[in-house]
Amino acid sequence: MTLSLVLRLTARDWRAGELRLLLAALLVAVGTVSAISLFVDRLHRALLAESATFLAADAAISSSYEFPEAFREAARAADLGLAETIGFPSMVFAEKPGNFRSQLAGVKAVAEDYPLRGILRIADAPFGGAQVTRDTPERGEVWLDSRLFPALDVEPGDQVSVGYEKFTVRRALVSEPDRGGGLFAMGPRLLMHIDDVPATRVIQPGSRIDYRLLLAGDNQALQGVREAIEDQLRPNYRWISAREASPFIERAVGRAESFLLLGGLLAVLLAGIAVALGANRYAKRHFDHVGVLKTLGATPRSILTGYLGLLSLVGALGVALGLALGLLAHQGILIALGSFIPTELPLPGARPFLLGAITGLICLLAFAAPPLVALRRISPMRVIRRDLPGTTASTVATYGCAAAGALGLLVWYSGDVFLTFWLLIGGVGVSVVFAALALVLLRSGRTLGMQAGSGWRLALAGLQRRYRENTAQIVVFGFAIMLLLILLLVRTSLIDEWQAQIPVNTPNHFVLNVTPEEKDDVDALLRANADYEGPLFPMMRGRIVAVNGVDAAEFRRQRWAAGFRDDDDDDDDEGPSPDDIAPQQAEGEEEEEGEGRGRGGRGFGSRNLTFATELPENNVVVGGEWWDADSPERLVSLEDDYAQRRGFAVGDELSFDIGGLPMVATVSNLRRVEWDSLQPNFFVILSPGALEGFPATYMTSFHLPVEDKRFLNELIAAHPTITVIEIDAIIRQVQSIVDRVTGAVELVLYLVLASGALVLTASIQASRDQRMKEHALLRALGGTRRLIGGALAAEFAVLGAFAGIVAVIGAEVSVFSLETQVFDLGYTSRPWFWLVGPLFGAALIATVGVLATRRLVNTPPATVLREL
Amino acid sequence: MTTPILRAQGLVKRVPTVEGELTILDGIDFTLPAGASLAVVGASGSGKTTLLGILAGLDLPTSGQVWLDGAEITSMSEEERARARANAVGFVFQTFQLIDSLTALENVMLPAELRGDGSARADAAEYLRRVGLEERVTHYPRQLSGGEQQRVAIARAFASRPSVLFADEPTGNLDTATGRRVADLLFDLNRESSATLVLVTHDKALAGRCEHVITLEAGRMAMPMARAAG
Repeated sequence: MTLSLVLRLTARDWRAGELRLLLAALLVAVGTVSAISLFVDRLHRALLAESATFLAADAAISSSYEFPEAFREAARAADLGLAETIGFPSMVFAEKPGNFRSQLAGVKAVAEDYPLRGILRIADAPFGGAQVTRDTPERGEVWLDSRLFPALDVEPGDQVSVGYEKFTVRRALVSEPDRGGGLFAMGPRLLMHIDDVPATRVIQPGSRIDYRLLLAGDNQALQGVREAIEDQLRPNYRWISAREASPFIERAVGRAESFLLLGGLLAVLLAGIAVALGANRYAKRHFDHVGVLKTLGATPRSILTGYLGLLSLVGALGVALGLALGLLAHQGILIALGSFIPTELPLPGARPFLLGAITGLICLLAFAAPPLVALRRISPMRVIRRDLPGTTASTVATYGCAAAGALGLLVWYSGDVFLTFWLLIGGVGVSVVFAALALVLLRSGRTLGMQAGSGWRLALAGLQRRYRENTAQIVVFGFAIMLLLILLLVRTSLIDEWQAQIPVNTPNHFVLNVTPEEKDDVDALLRANADYEGPLFPMMRGRIVAVNGVDAAEFRRQRWAAGFRDDDDDDDDEGPSPDDIAPQQAEGEEEEEGEGRGRGGRGFGSRNLTFATELPENNVVVGGEWWDADSPERLVSLEDDYAQRRGFAVGDELSFDIGGLPMVATVSNLRRVEWDSLQPNFFVILSPGALEGFPATYMTSFHLPVEDKRFLNELIAAHPTITVIEIDAIIRQVQSIVDRVTGAVELVLYLVLASGALVLTASIQASRDQRMKEHALLRALGGTRRLIGGALAAEFAVLGAFAGIVAVIGAEVSVFSLETQVFDLGYTSRPWFWLVGPLFGAALIATVGVLATRRLVNTPPATVLREL
Repeated sequence: MTTPILRAQGLVKRVPTVEGELTILDGIDFTLPAGASLAVVGASGSGKTTLLGILAGLDLPTSGQVWLDGAEITSMSEEERARARANAVGFVFQTFQLIDSLTALENVMLPAELRGDGSARADAAEYLRRVGLEERVTHYPRQLSGGEQQRVAIARAFASRPSVLFADEPTGNLDTATGRRVADLLFDLNRESSATLVLVTHDKALAGRCEHVITLEAGRMAMPMARAAG
């Protein structure tokens, strides 16, 4: 067929409304995917930008060694922003006549180019109003955390000493971007100029130092640099990307992404079903056209090119409009979410658009093409022999194409073979089971119908008469409702789970270094002024020096020789507590391959130790047994992952060095710890008996609202040597992410609902011609409009209820696998769904069905009979 | 006898059914000269429509051959048969078979467009004038009466300047008066264009206007092709 003929046929078909459903389904598929991926793209960028502020850079290299010049050169060559910081713990001294104060501080030395991302906030006086600054400390001056002022009894302008050098206190430091993000500073912060560090002479061989090379630039350039220096990174240098810097956020976003894409995929599959139904109906209505065209000399090839041309036109239009719709929808979401998304975000990349366009293409090829391609095989004899079957589209080709398309989309979106496998198995299994169930339900419905009134009898007879179509429709409706239920159920449990993790009064401050003498007073102060339930946990630093009598260094060497490469070297961390409160989830990143520092040459680093009589909340024993509260034995409980990485097992005898004193304890149990809980958690817990007589300090966590933060001043004034760590900013960030993700999840639900309604309309349209004919005949025979309307409503309601029943069964099974296998959530049973599912199905399908067939009932029978 | 335009030899058509194989056509042989007219008559189910389909290259026989315009269409691929139809065959159907979404003019243009013929529009307009529908060119089939629709179909059939025109019960869906007018038109245009006409009909009067008649009984020719009595 010529192009002009194709164009004309397309235009005519469009005017006749035959292509609208196909185009609408395509629009929904393309629009949904592009909107979701645009939104995810933006969300990613927003979160990445935020994560970057937690790192003060887009990426950083961290090490306890100085950086080789090659790193800087590579970064400069890639045109990346570059800044360096040095972090180390140091005592800070303030001396006034008759008043000598000292306080352990987390020193950070920076240059003028710090920070590359995020902002510094300072105040002119301690605890004063914060203001943003682009300055950094000049040489010879330091900025102190507000809490250091009372602790050292200094005012701005006074002098303090760090090591051998004296500095002038200039400003109060309110916040710096990279204080949190898993890199909890030890003690209150002191910010100084990087060029002043040598003069302090505090950096000595063996000092605990965190050198950081901060990098800023686009992702591609960063990746390039990372690859260029990859070989030199290991084992002593660690690359930290912005996402890895905030492990909790990373996990929340990861889950949200899985969910959004899964939701998007469901919407696309539903739209795909609608595309298939639309294309089938279109093809059926064109059997005669093709027959006539063939008798007039159209060859099968020209029929094929003609309809493929038409499909391409519809596809191009669908993709273009779908992308525009997606862009519009995503703009709508951005406006709706308002301040959540930073406005200065770079424009989204091409990927979301590409994703949308390819989805459209796959939908067309997999779902719409088979029935249209089969048109070329229509026999021209059909024109003179109406009894000839119309379609020659092979079932295998049709379903094979659709299955291949769906599978392709599944793998592509989920990027997860496991998820794909389950969905596929689920899909096939559910179809078979649904079809069997539907047949049983239809048959029992007919038996009931024999005793029913005329409207119902008509409805049930109609269901039974078209039992093949109705079985298919129950399967389709069942799928649609099941997908909606799955989405609803998974969404509910995801949001519940997230919110449960961050209840309103989640501890947002930690207090450390409380001496036994201060313990009761601090406890009383916290109880009086903060949201605090206690207790104070005892804590001490200690290291494991031998395992079952074997020296730790030798033990590690043996494990290394035996091929265990997974024990990492992160023990020697930032001092009291940080990793134990909220350990870096990115520990796996630190797996080291080479024979490096500590690899066989050194034992285990120092760790925070605590003791407890009861198993702490959020901990579950997974091996061995928790000890009796009054056990005199020296026992130790290890975090499961920690123990496995290091090769410790229940029954092993661990020798500790605690402040120079030896202690031997037996591993009595292994625990799983819920790190997301933001409660104090420990890798190593000892039985009370084990630590008897060892000097301990205490720590705890508490909640303090922003407006009460001045209490910190009071607390520190009363106990200048304690350390307070504030994580309220991180918690606020996590909460805002949960809010954002909740919004996105709701959006996906609406999109899936729209697709579901489209499928319903499409499948009703598919049986429309046949229904119209039957109803016209019934009306010609004297059936009232009311009887037929009632029968139709009843038919759709029964169909919906049946679909609801099978959907609930499918949803329960799928949700169980998704919750337990994909989202790592616990399964919750929901008996009320067994009632709601069928009722919802009946109401939804009856409503959509009655609306879609309204014209059918209202058209005069003479018109219908003449048209058909 | 002039050059044969249509020749059938030993045509047999069998189809499988649930009760076993059913023979629809059995041993059809005839030769039709160019420019002649042939009526195929017989009771319902005698195989008339099947024969028409095979003669026009719409279907293939189980065995036997058909030569159309000098070429053996029964050995052609579907693609080749379609091209042969485009070049040599015109159709008029009982149910008109116009394409609903195209206007009268566009329906008539269709065969020429399928051949990629540039003068389609002018020819189509001329043929619509000749069937008396010059006022109806922009009308869609549903806006036309049955007789008018069949006239559009006749215009479409002749616009492709076929060597053979196949008509399947062309007046079967029309009232007697309209049917007669449509038949007149069909025979007039057939004479003017010197095309060969093959007509399947129940209507004895219509069959009587053809030069030759084949009577089918249960798939067999009741007698060899005969010249019509009228």
